[in-house]
Amino acid sequence: MTGIMQDIKFYDCRVIEGSSTSIILDNGKIEEISRNFTREAGVRALCGGSWGYTSVEGEIDLKQGVEAASKLAFSMNANTPKEDVELAAINPPEVENLPEVRIDPRDVSIEEKVDLLKSIEASAKVKGINSTKVMYLESEFKVEYRSSDGIECAYELQNVGFAVSAVASESGVYQAGRESRFGYGYELFEKENVLELAGKAGNTAIELLKAKTPKGGEMPVILDQELAGVFAHEAVGHASEADLVLEGDSILENRIGEQIASPLVTIIDDPTLHEFGYYPFDAEGAQSKRTEIIKDGVFNSYLHSRETAAKLGGTPGNCRSQGYSMPVVRMSNTFIDNGDARFEEMLEEVKDGMYLIGSRGGQVNTGEGIFQFNAEKGYLIRNGELAELIRDVSLSGKTLEILNHVALVGNDLKMTAGRCGKAGQLVSVSDGSPHLAISKALVGGA
Amino acid sequence: MYELAKKALRLAEKAGAEEAEIYYAANHSTGVNFRKDALENAKDRFSEGIGIRAIVNGAVGFASTNSAAQIESAVEVAVAEARVRESDPDWVSLPSNEKYPTVSGIFDKKVETLELEACIDYALELVEGTKEIPGTLPTSGGFTRAKGKQLILNTNGIEIEEESTAVSGFVDVITVNGQTSTAYDFGISRSLDIDFFVLGKNAAELALKSNGGIKIEPQKTDVIFHPFAFADIIEEALAPSLDADNVQKGRSGLIDKVGEDLAVPELSIYDDGLIEAGIETSASDDEGVPSQRTTLIEKGVLETYLYDSYTAGKAGVKSTGNGSRSSYTNPPSVGLRNFIIDYPQSDVIADTQSGVFVNTVIGAHTANSISGDFSVEARNAFTIKDGALDKPIKSLMISGNAFELLKQITGAGFDVRKVGGIITPSIRVSDISVIG
Repeated sequence: MTGIMQDIKFYDCRVIEGSSTSIILDNGKIEEISRNFTREAGVRALCGGSWGYTSVEGEIDLKQGVEAASKLAFSMNANTPKEDVELAAINPPEVENLPEVRIDPRDVSIEEKVDLLKSIEASAKVKGINSTKVMYLESEFKVEYRSSDGIECAYELQNVGFAVSAVASESGVYQAGRESRFGYGYELFEKENVLELAGKAGNTAIELLKAKTPKGGEMPVILDQELAGVFAHEAVGHASEADLVLEGDSILENRIGEQIASPLVTIIDDPTLHEFGYYPFDAEGAQSKRTEIIKDGVFNSYLHSRETAAKLGGTPGNCRSQGYSMPVVRMSNTFIDNGDARFEEMLEEVKDGMYLIGSRGGQVNTGEGIFQFNAEKGYLIRNGELAELIRDVSLSGKTLEILNHVALVGNDLKMTAGRCGKAGQLVSVSDGSPHLAISKALVGGA
Repeated sequence: MYELAKKALRLAEKAGAEEAEIYYAANHSTGVNFRKDALENAKDRFSEGIGIRAIVNGAVGFASTNSAAQIESAVEVAVAEARVRESDPDWVSLPSNEKYPTVSGIFDKKVETLELEACIDYALELVEGTKEIPGTLPTSGGFTRAKGKQLILNTNGIEIEEESTAVSGFVDVITVNGQTSTAYDFGISRSLDIDFFVLGKNAAELALKSNGGIKIEPQKTDVIFHPFAFADIIEEALAPSLDADNVQKGRSGLIDKVGEDLAVPELSIYDDGLIEAGIETSASDDEGVPSQRTTLIEKGVLETYLYDSYTAGKAGVKSTGNGSRSSYTNPPSVGLRNFIIDYPQSDVIADTQSGVFVNTVIGAHTANSISGDFSVEARNAFTIKDGALDKPIKSLMISGNAFELLKQITGAGFDVRKVGGIITPSIRVSDISVIG
């Protein structure tokens, strides 16, 4: 082993210990209460140009972990030697400004949480709703990081939130409304008007029953904050991740300094904000920091790990993982920055088109720069005014075209919590935007 | 931890559980991944943990842990949670001891003992395959081998232990000249019978063939879905409605449809936990119910929904062996086993005068799982002219409804493929709306 260790020029370990609770209330009945305790570790070792990674659950012997990862890295490098991986230097992070938690969810009894879910459920069950589901999630975890560079740091974080969905049906047509909020501290349930949100989910489902499926085609559109936020994350954010750029899988490769969007567009990734994608340092011990991805339409920066920052030039701080999985370059809180347009101006600008609201998810091909997102609902815009409610509408097109077709940017930025599924992992993020008016987009419908 | 499973069962009874179940799972996987054409990392992952279901007065509590030191408190939490809940009138009981079928082909000693060097060679085969096709480069991919072991114990006498193995390969390819186009291919199997070189070559060929896509007019036409595309749509837009839990909770588009004509009479669909070497094959499901073959759609008629033991008890029927867990951290819920699409096969492209062939779709997970409505972006799509693939299509949106689609199937190819647990040929559906 000592022979191998001479060739290992870097290793690091993360130990994550925590617990989580989930409660699911289904049609007013507790369907599941579950609690999970975990202790796990991920160890990386670098030999030449090859990484070895070992992850272990339960009782952890870090020395053994480092040896196992080193062996993997060593044989990879021996079998297929390649250009050495360099890592950008970092300073020990300062762990400060953690989100304040007034009420620790662990101090609230299960009974009280169940009662809360029941009142959320009752609010969602407006007249005409056939079924409801409410989910409560809380997790507390401690991350300890240590590297062969001598960096040692740790933080503890806890988060809490809920999601509600309501389904209405009428003559064989089913429609759902959904709302969710995630944040820090049980006081979230006081700060957010959760009962009103639940009622909104119920009303959305009922309204959608009557909604029409419009004819698709090319037209001007307004995107609401949530859908525009999904666009910022999925279409632009992923393409700015330096690992994808290095893979040759990004349309933003070699575009730094170029005007790639309307000058109205500024897109930022900021893990220091106390939104759902917050962290004090990333999975490599690098201090979290704000990055302007696009500044006034000019492509400004990729998002980096230590490895990609060394290769392409840049600052590390966006390397993240789910639990003990291998960290990859990833976003945090990603948003289109506020402009100054009012919603009424956007309606006038669009004149005849669609207003697309919310998201039922989407996918992107970052290499080709094309995307497809399904909206939760929308309205036709006729003669500068909101007209009929519509459903089953989707937005698709080319990322760069949409960025250039942004005609107006609102001043009502709103963030939505979610989880990013890159590399088969699920990691807390948030994304957001103000309302956007787009002069031309492809809308899919009936 | 394995040794502690039996102890945990006794602890649960001692803590006041009337019934209890211990689900133990251990997994060791090794993956070798590449970025562009260079191997980037090797990963070894050891996971092991237990999930505990405790039942008190017809109410269920659940807790899990991967730390031996936490087993006792996890057991206590599970029992305490059960006590907090009201008695569930629909709860019948945990599964009872039964005879298990013999299954074969799910464990391969060669996979279990595969050395890292061999894993590296398989990953390199994926890369080498792409190099057969000039003008393309792999972007990412990898080879993984895994070995799993699970043990289910409950107070009704269930004690079943199984071991299994799997290998998989994935490769994503991009073209380097002209318009950018991408394609991927993957394979998964219980043993080393995948030609990884061919996977790499196929992905590269498809990426290249997709280059220089044309725009087509919006129209209703015949669409042939490759197994990858069809499996994706079926899994997201149709399968959730077959889940008895969704049916019982009013979240399925197939409520009260058993016995009705759901599809064209040539179509049958089976859910089968027993097929030789299936990715979802095992002697028991994830709560100890013996696996079985279930006919879901027989000659177009819906025969049954899929049940785990809870939803079966609620409906007064027998579990179909579909109790499923993604990890020891979850209690069981209804999940698919090997899901087999059966339709008379032919040379389906040659039989198609004009239409569209779609290799993969993106956005299937955004489908409305209740209504069955979906709207997806087709990838690596081609026009079909006079019984042959003609030109690549640059961008194509396909909107439809999974239930309508079953009634519009008019053909299937010879190219049956295991897309994870979904086993299907290419499927031709007529009169589908596409927007270019």
